[in-house]
Amino acid sequence: MSIKTATPDQTLDTLGRVCPYPLLLTKKALEKLSSGQTIKILCDAPASAEDTIPRFAEKQGYGFEAVKLEDKGYWELFIKKS
Amino acid sequence: MVSTLSYLVSGLLIGAAFGFVLQRGRFCVNSAFREVLFQDYTMLRAYLLAVAVAMIGANLIEDIGLLGHYENGVFVAGQLYRQAFAPWANIVGGYLFGMGIVLAGGCGSGILYRVGEGNLAYVLAVCGFVYGIVITKFGILKPVYDELIKTVVFIGPNDDVIPTLDNIIGVNKWIVITIIAAILLFVVYQGKPFQKAKKGYSWSIAGFLVGLMAVAAFWASGYFSGRARGLSFTGPVREFFLAVFFGNSQAAVGDKTQTLLGITYSWSSLYVLAVPIGAYISGKLLKEVKLKVPPADELLKVFLGGSIMGIGAQIGGGCNIGHSLTGVSTLAVSSWVANIFIILGNWTMVYFLLIRPMRDLEV
Repeated sequence: MSIKTATPDQTLDTLGRVCPYPLLLTKKALEKLSSGQTIKILCDAPASAEDTIPRFAEKQGYGFEAVKLEDKGYWELFIKKS
Repeated sequence: MVSTLSYLVSGLLIGAAFGFVLQRGRFCVNSAFREVLFQDYTMLRAYLLAVAVAMIGANLIEDIGLLGHYENGVFVAGQLYRQAFAPWANIVGGYLFGMGIVLAGGCGSGILYRVGEGNLAYVLAVCGFVYGIVITKFGILKPVYDELIKTVVFIGPNDDVIPTLDNIIGVNKWIVITIIAAILLFVVYQGKPFQKAKKGYSWSIAGFLVGLMAVAAFWASGYFSGRARGLSFTGPVREFFLAVFFGNSQAAVGDKTQTLLGITYSWSSLYVLAVPIGAYISGKLLKEVKLKVPPADELLKVFLGGSIMGIGAQIGGGCNIGHSLTGVSTLAVSSWVANIFIILGNWTMVYFLLIRPMRDLEV
């Protein structure tokens, strides 16, 4: 099943935050989650949404999916901790 | 004498192209240095590739005689502008600047191009940057600045040669360039630079293009302003805002300025204006531009960070582009020293602002 269709265990709002807070808040939130749980992150910093956060998730071996909401100008990022 | 129109258009075009590439490539020297502490070397590799391309390209156009400008219809060959070595200023300024970019959430070029993405925090970061530069160059911090730049180290029999990595050990500069480029490209190669990105520019394309832009700016600044100072942001930001505030960029002696509608601009001040515009165009095409604002405490931090960047960059003689990309590629000792301290300042602030709070949270 795709990560983004599941109901997230937590939603993290990083809208408006400057670099590198979106990544940092994501790391913090993921530390508190248990394995198998998912988090949905709202992010409008392009470099964080498309670069640093996906790369971090990939390196940790976590599941990652992203949806770019072009009409709203931000991304919904889904990470599944494993 | 170049026409006012070509002077204007070339400056704006270089800036817009640079802003476009930065936005599209998510290029950021701040995160390149920062992420090393978190064992992620992707952006560092992009930066190192940019340095390798800039170093080889800039020295090549210097040596084959492409660099220069026309004086009364006669071509006058130019040289890459290499900054004098002011050890105290380079060390203190570089270190301060390195700390500032972490607080501001972006480096000298980063805060400018992100204005184009619509985050108002970066408007404040730029204001802080200008504020820091002006109080250091002309205002309350001038005595400190004057003291720090007093010590300048020259070498050579007449004590008048600006030290570079090659002339201090007395070898041909291409030996030094080959060795450094080989090391840089080896590190770059470890990151599989030829893998295609899922979307946008891959880090390697971004780094390559930033390097090319640095070379293009060396050529263009030499051609249009008569001094090949290359891409930098500290001086040009100051010159842009001096033109806006007081009607004159007050550019260095030797820089050919142009006057339009009574306002005197330096060539470099023009690209400063165009960087956010280029980033805006790129962001708009990707549908990523949105007006947004962070919480109040973060805004304050960003302004403070911008001011520290400005103070550091004015003292140290440059930012992460002027020193870490352009200056380093000229092999000037000043820029290598400043760059080392920019990295150390960055790591210091990352520790206090990002690593320690996170560690304390785990307890």
